[in-house]
Amino acid sequence: MTRHDAIVIGAGVNGLVAATVLARAGLDVCVIEQSDRLGGMATLSVDDGPELAHLVHNLSPRVRRDIGLDPHRWPFRQTALPTVALDESGRHVIVTRNAVTFADGTAHPDARACLALTARLRRYGELLRMLAEAAPPGGDAPLASARGLRQILRLGRFGLGLRGLGRAEARRFLQVLLSNAYDLIRDDLPEGPLAGMLAADAVRGIAQGPRSPGTVFTLIHRYGHGGVAALPQGGMSAVVDALAQAARDVGCTLRTGVRATGIQLQDDRVCAVTTASGETLLTSRVLVGSGPRLAAELVGAGAFDIEAMRRIGRIRARGVAAKVNLRLDRMPDVPGLNADQLRGRLVFAPGADYVEAAFNPAKYGEMSDNPVIEAVIRDEGAIWLSAVVQYAPSDLNGGWSDAARAALARRTLATLGRAIPGLDARVRETQVIAPDAIAAATGAPGGHWHHAEMTLDQILTLRPANGIGRYAIGPRGLFLCGASTHPGGDVMGLAGRNAAREVLG
Amino acid sequence: MSERTSFDAIVAGAGHNGLTTAAYLARAGLRVLVVEKNDWIGGAAVSRSLHDGWTYSNCSYVCSLFRREIARDLDLPKYGLQVIPYEGGASFTRDGDYFAYYSDHDALRREMARHAPRDADAYARYSQAIMRQCRFIRPFLLRDAPDPVAPGPRDIGELAYLVRKAHDLGARELGETLRFWTMSIGDFLDDHFENDLIKAHLAGSGIIGTGLGVYSPGTAYVLLHHYMGDIDGGIGAWGFARGGMGAISDAIGAAFQAHGGVIRKGAGVERILTRDGRVTGVALEDGAEFHAPVVASNMDVKRTMLEHLAPEDLPADFRRAVERYKIRGSSAKLNIALDRKPAFPAAPAHASFLRGDLHASESLAELERAYDDWKIGEISARPYIDMLIPSQIDPTMAPVGAHMMTVFVQYAPYDLAVDGVRSADNWTEAQRARLASIVLDQMQVACPDIRDRIVHMEVRSPLELEREVGLTEGNIFQGELTFDQLFFNKPVPGYAQYAMPVRGLYLCGSSAHPGGGVMGAPGANAARAILRRETRGRRMKGYAA
Amino acid sequence: MSVVTDPDVGLVPGPVHDRIAALSRAQGWYGWAGHAAPSVLDTVEFEYFALRNQAALLDISPMHKYRVTGPGATAMLNRMVTRDVRRIAIGRVGYAVWCDEDGMVIDDGTLFRLAEDDWRLCCQEPMLSWLADACVGFDASVSDESHSIAGLALQGPTSFAVLRAAGFDVARLRPFDLTDAAPGIMVSRTGFTGDLGYELWTGWDEATALWDRLWRAGTDLGLRAIGYDAVNIARIEAGFLTAGVDFQPVHAVERLHRGKTPLELGLGRMVDMAKGHFNGRRALAGPRRHPRSLLLRVDVEGFKPAQDALVYHRRRREVGHITSGVWSPTAKRNIALAHVAMPWARRHPPDLWAEIYTLQEGRWDRRMARLTPVKHSFYAPPRARATPPGLT
Repeated sequence: MTRHDAIVIGAGVNGLVAATVLARAGLDVCVIEQSDRLGGMATLSVDDGPELAHLVHNLSPRVRRDIGLDPHRWPFRQTALPTVALDESGRHVIVTRNAVTFADGTAHPDARACLALTARLRRYGELLRMLAEAAPPGGDAPLASARGLRQILRLGRFGLGLRGLGRAEARRFLQVLLSNAYDLIRDDLPEGPLAGMLAADAVRGIAQGPRSPGTVFTLIHRYGHGGVAALPQGGMSAVVDALAQAARDVGCTLRTGVRATGIQLQDDRVCAVTTASGETLLTSRVLVGSGPRLAAELVGAGAFDIEAMRRIGRIRARGVAAKVNLRLDRMPDVPGLNADQLRGRLVFAPGADYVEAAFNPAKYGEMSDNPVIEAVIRDEGAIWLSAVVQYAPSDLNGGWSDAARAALARRTLATLGRAIPGLDARVRETQVIAPDAIAAATGAPGGHWHHAEMTLDQILTLRPANGIGRYAIGPRGLFLCGASTHPGGDVMGLAGRNAAREVLG
Repeated sequence: MSERTSFDAIVAGAGHNGLTTAAYLARAGLRVLVVEKNDWIGGAAVSRSLHDGWTYSNCSYVCSLFRREIARDLDLPKYGLQVIPYEGGASFTRDGDYFAYYSDHDALRREMARHAPRDADAYARYSQAIMRQCRFIRPFLLRDAPDPVAPGPRDIGELAYLVRKAHDLGARELGETLRFWTMSIGDFLDDHFENDLIKAHLAGSGIIGTGLGVYSPGTAYVLLHHYMGDIDGGIGAWGFARGGMGAISDAIGAAFQAHGGVIRKGAGVERILTRDGRVTGVALEDGAEFHAPVVASNMDVKRTMLEHLAPEDLPADFRRAVERYKIRGSSAKLNIALDRKPAFPAAPAHASFLRGDLHASESLAELERAYDDWKIGEISARPYIDMLIPSQIDPTMAPVGAHMMTVFVQYAPYDLAVDGVRSADNWTEAQRARLASIVLDQMQVACPDIRDRIVHMEVRSPLELEREVGLTEGNIFQGELTFDQLFFNKPVPGYAQYAMPVRGLYLCGSSAHPGGGVMGAPGANAARAILRRETRGRRMKGYAA
Repeated sequence: MSVVTDPDVGLVPGPVHDRIAALSRAQGWYGWAGHAAPSVLDTVEFEYFALRNQAALLDISPMHKYRVTGPGATAMLNRMVTRDVRRIAIGRVGYAVWCDEDGMVIDDGTLFRLAEDDWRLCCQEPMLSWLADACVGFDASVSDESHSIAGLALQGPTSFAVLRAAGFDVARLRPFDLTDAAPGIMVSRTGFTGDLGYELWTGWDEATALWDRLWRAGTDLGLRAIGYDAVNIARIEAGFLTAGVDFQPVHAVERLHRGKTPLELGLGRMVDMAKGHFNGRRALAGPRRHPRSLLLRVDVEGFKPAQDALVYHRRRREVGHITSGVWSPTAKRNIALAHVAMPWARRHPPDLWAEIYTLQEGRWDRRMARLTPVKHSFYAPPRARATPPGLT
C-alpha cells in the first residue's frame, strides 16, 4: 500500500492547481483521474474536434504565481480576441478593451456608454477578485484567532477597496451588485447587438436569464480578470499541459485511468482512498474535484449529517450550455466582416430581450428555439466552428436523444445562418455535446460549467451549500476543490488554489 | 376668516403613509397641511362606493403589515379602526379538487397529507424557517436603514445593531438567512415540498405586486414582505379592515385632524416650490400656494422628483438615479358586486376556507409562465388571482345576502403590447374587457357561476391605478422590491433616510424604506426624521419613535 | 349568513373514541396530534390511583408511528439517533433520542426492532419528512403507520393480571421486550409511567375489539380508563420528559438557541460517541460538548407544586425555570423538573430556589422554596422490573 500526504480526485484544472499548491508546500501529492486525459471539462473533445472550453477568460494571475509559473507569462501563447456582436443586417459591432466600433470602422453611437459600463464592471471585478482570491468569509473561527484576524484584515482591505471606488461608485456598486444584468445594461444602452452581447456574457454557462437578479454578479465575474477573451495557442490542452507540467515539476504524481471507488474513514478522519483496480492509497487528506455529491458517494452518506445531505441534494446544477462543433469545408463569408474579424469571438445575441426569450424554454425543460451562441472559428488543419449554444438544459424533456441533438444542431445552424448566410452549405461534419454527455464524460454535475449554479444563494460562503462553503466537508481531512466551490469555475484555477490553502490551514 | 397659507409642514398626498407622517408631526405640535389631488383621502388604502349599496376596497384589499405601534401611538381604534383576521384560503384546480389552507394546525396537516403526506410534515419546518426570518427582519422596519458608504454616528450605531443581530444568529443560521434573502420563492418551496399544488398555493405571496417570477432570485424576500406583518401579534396573519381598507386611512386622517391638522382635498400638487436649494411650499394645480419649510411627499420618488421639481432643483446624478428607479406595473384588480355568494362546487358547502384568500393556480411552472407573458407586455394567459369575499365577515361591505368580491391579478403589464407596440395607451376599453374576461375564466375554475353573479364590476388595469392613485406605472409598492431598491438602496443609494437632496424635502411614501404595503412604517419613519432634523427639541414620542 | 364550521376542521376521533366518549363524565378533551384525546374522564386523582394501584387503560394511537425497513434500515437509524441501535436486539424496544446537525434534540421516542432490518419508531412529533431525509444514501425506506396502527397503553400493578385474564401469555416478557401475543396484536413491556405496564399494538380498525377484550378482562381487576392528566403525574414521578414541555423540539423553535442537547437534558447515557458518525456528533464532540444548562430532577421544599416557577441561585440570580412540577401522591414529595443554567446547575451546595406563586381565596402570594436536586426517578417500584411480573 502506498501512502501520500494528500490525494486529489479528479485532474481538472482546479485539481491540478490544488495539487501543485499542496506539493509546493512540501506535501507528497497524488492526483488520480478516472479518464485517460487531464483537464476535465476544459479539454473534453470528441473525434479530434474542438475542446469544450475554447477561450480563456479568467485564468488567474494569482494562481500562476502560486503554482510557481513565471509571474508575467503563461508558458503558452495566447491571443486576445476582439468580440464581434453579430448583427443580422450586417452592421456587426467590434468590441475590444478600448474601443467599440462598427465592423467597417465607423464610430458606434453607444461606444462611450458601453466602454464606460465595461470599465466600471472591470473596476467592480477587481474588487470582487479580492474576495475570490481567498476562502469566503465566515466559518466558526473565533475572531481572536489567527484565522479570524486574517479574515478581518481581508474584509478591511475589501472595505478600503470599496472606498477607493469613490463615494458615488461605491454606492452604485452596492446597489447593482445583487441586481439583474438586463436593467444594468438597458439603463445605459439601447436594445441591440451590444446590449445582447453583454446580456449573453452575463449568463454564459448558467441557468439564468439576464432579467434574473444576481446576473450583474456573474457579469462582473466575467470581467473579474480584465474581461479579455483570449485564444490559447494549441487550444485548452496547452493550458492544461502547462498546469500539469507545473504539478510534475514539484513532484506531484499524476495518474490517469484510476477511478476512486471509496474513501475510508477512521475515527471520523479520512485514512485512505480505494480504487476500482483494488488499490488502497493511504492518506490523511483527500480533495474531491467534482463536487460534494461525489464526495458523499465515496465516503458514504452515513458520514454526513442529514441536513448536509439534504443541502447537497438540493444544490442546483442544471447545465444549459451545449457545445456544437461544425467542421467547415472553408472559411465562410460573412458580409461586413473581414478575415481577421471573422476570427474574433463571435456572439449571436441580437438583443437583451432575445437572450431572455432564449432562456424562457429552459425553465420548462425545453431548448431555445433561437439560441444564444458564442462561436470561434479556427483554421488549424481542419476548419472548425466551435460554438457554445445556450439554452440546452441538461434535464431536457424526453432526454437528449439523437433527435434532440439533431434539433439543437439545426437550430444552431439556422440561428448562425441569420448572420452568416450560406453557413449550412459549408458544414461537413457536426458534433453536438449536450450537457448530459458533459456530465457523463467528466462527472460535472448536470454538465454545468460551474458544477453548481452561480446564483446569489450559491456564492461565497453559501457555495456550493451552507455549512460546506469553506472547502472542508464532513469528516476531518475531506475537502472540495472544484468549480462547485468558491469562486466557481471558468478555467480560473482559484477554487483549487483556495482549497489547497485551506487544507494547509 | 382668511385661510391660513403658511404651515410648519406640508404633506403632499393623503395616502396612509402621508397621513401617518402628518399625524405624527401634528401630534408633536407642528401645524401641518395635507394636500390631496382626489376628492377623497386614502391613496391606495381606500374604500369607495361605486355601485349603490356596495363598498369596494378597490386598491389594497387586506391588511397585515400595518404596524401596531402606529395604531397604538395614534389611538386609531378611537377613530374607527377595526382589523379582523380572516381564516385560511384555498387553491382550486381544473380537475375539480382544491388545496385548502387552514389556520387550524392539525386540519392543515390533514389537508396537506391528503395531497402529499411528506409535505404535511415538511410544513412545520417550512413555517418555522419563515417565522425565523420574520423575527429577524421585524425590528428593522421601524428603524432607519444605515448608510454603509459614508456612515455618520447614527449610521454606525445602526450598522452595529445589524451586525450584532446577524452575529446572534450564529454562522449556520446566518448562512440560511443570507440564502433565504437571495433565493427565489420557487427554489425555497422546492427545498421543502414536493406537491405542485401546495407549492403554487404558498408561492403567491412571493410575486404579488412584483415584476419577477416565482423562480427569480429575490422573490423569497417578497414573500417575507407579505409575512412579516401581524394582527395583534399573530405574525403572518392577514385580515380585513372593517369598512374596507379606507377605514385605515380614515382613522389616521381623523387622528391627524384631532391633533389640529388640516386636510385639503381636490388639491393636486402642481409644483414643489424651492428657493436657494430649500423647499418653501407647494403650488397647487388650481394656482393656490401654501408655504412651509418642510414638505413631505407621499408620492413615489419618480413622480415627486421628475414631475414636481425642476431638473435644476436636483443634483444630476440623483436625478439620473431616480430615472433609473424601477417601478413597473404588474398588477390589475377586479372589484365585483355580487347578487349572492357564488357557488364553489369543489368545496364543502360551508367550508371555512372560503372566507380566506382563494386562488386557481396549480403549479409553479404555471405561475412562471404567467410571468413570461408579462415580460413581453402581455396579460398573463393564466394569471395568478387572489380573490376574497370580505362581505362574508364584514357586514358593512354589501347589502344583506349580497356580497363584495375583490380579485387581485398578477400579471398585467402597464405598457401593454398590441401589434408589437408597447404602450400604456393600449389600455383601451376593449383591452380592459379582455383582461376581465381572462380573469373571469380563471375564476371560473373555482366558482363556475361567477359571471351570473355579477351586479357591477370595476376593472382596474395598471393604467387606472396610475391615473387615479398616482402610482407611477401602477406599481402597487411604489417601486420594485428588488435588492437594488431595498434597505440602504431605497429608493436610491445615499438617500435612504427620508431626507432628499433639496433641503426640507422628505419622502414619506412606500418608495422609502421599508417600502410597500399598507404598513405605515415609511410614514412614521419619515416623521421621525423630520422631527429630528427640522425641529429643535421636538422628538417623536411613542412606540414607533 | 350563519357561521358554520368546516367539517374538516376540529379534532377527529381516534380508533376507540366511541368507547372513551361513553366513559367520559368530565368531557375534558384536548388535541393530541389532531385527535380528540381525554385529559380526564372522571377525576384525575382517582384515575391516577387506578394507575398506581390497579390498572389503567389509555389510548396512545395519536402517537406518530413510522416503519423503517430495508437492508440499510439499521445503518440509517444508527446514523440518525445518538445511541447504538445495533445493540437493540430483535424483539426488543429501545428508548432513543435524535438531534439536528448542531446537536439539538429534535425528538425522543421508542424504537421497536421487529426483525433484523425492520423497525418501528414511535414518537411525539411528526417525523416523516425527517426520516425520508435521513434515508437519503441508505438502502432503506420509511412509511407512516400513524393511522394504520393503533396503540393501547395498559399500565399499573394488575396490568399483567389483566392481560392474562384477556388470554395473552406475556409472563416471560421482560421490560423492553416485545412479542406477537396474538395474530395481529403485538405487546411490548413499555410505558410512560415507570410502573409495571404494557403497550398493545394492533390495526387501527381492530383497536375497538382489543379495547373490549381488555375491558372485559379487567372488570374484577380494577381496570379503569384514564386521561392524560393522570399519566402526566406518573411520568413526572418516573422522571420522563415530554417534548414541548421539558424541552422544545428544535424543529419547532423559532429561536434556534432554545434547542437543547441530549447532554443538557440529562440524556448523556443515550449518546454513544464511539459508535461512529451520527447526526449532530461533530457538534456534540466539539462546540456543544459543554452543556449550557442541565435539566435537573428536584425535590421542592413545601407542598405547593412548582409548575412554571422561575429558579434562582441564592434567591437572587435568575438561573432557570421549572418545566414540570407536581405533588407526587405516591412518593409523598413535591417534585419537579428544572432547567438550570451552568455553572449553577453543578454548584455544591446547590442553593437553588423556586419562586412559587400561590392563589388562596383570591389572594396571590409568593414564596421561595428551596430545591434539592436528586439523582434518580422519584418513584421506581420493583414490580416494574420483576419477571415474571406479579399479579397485584
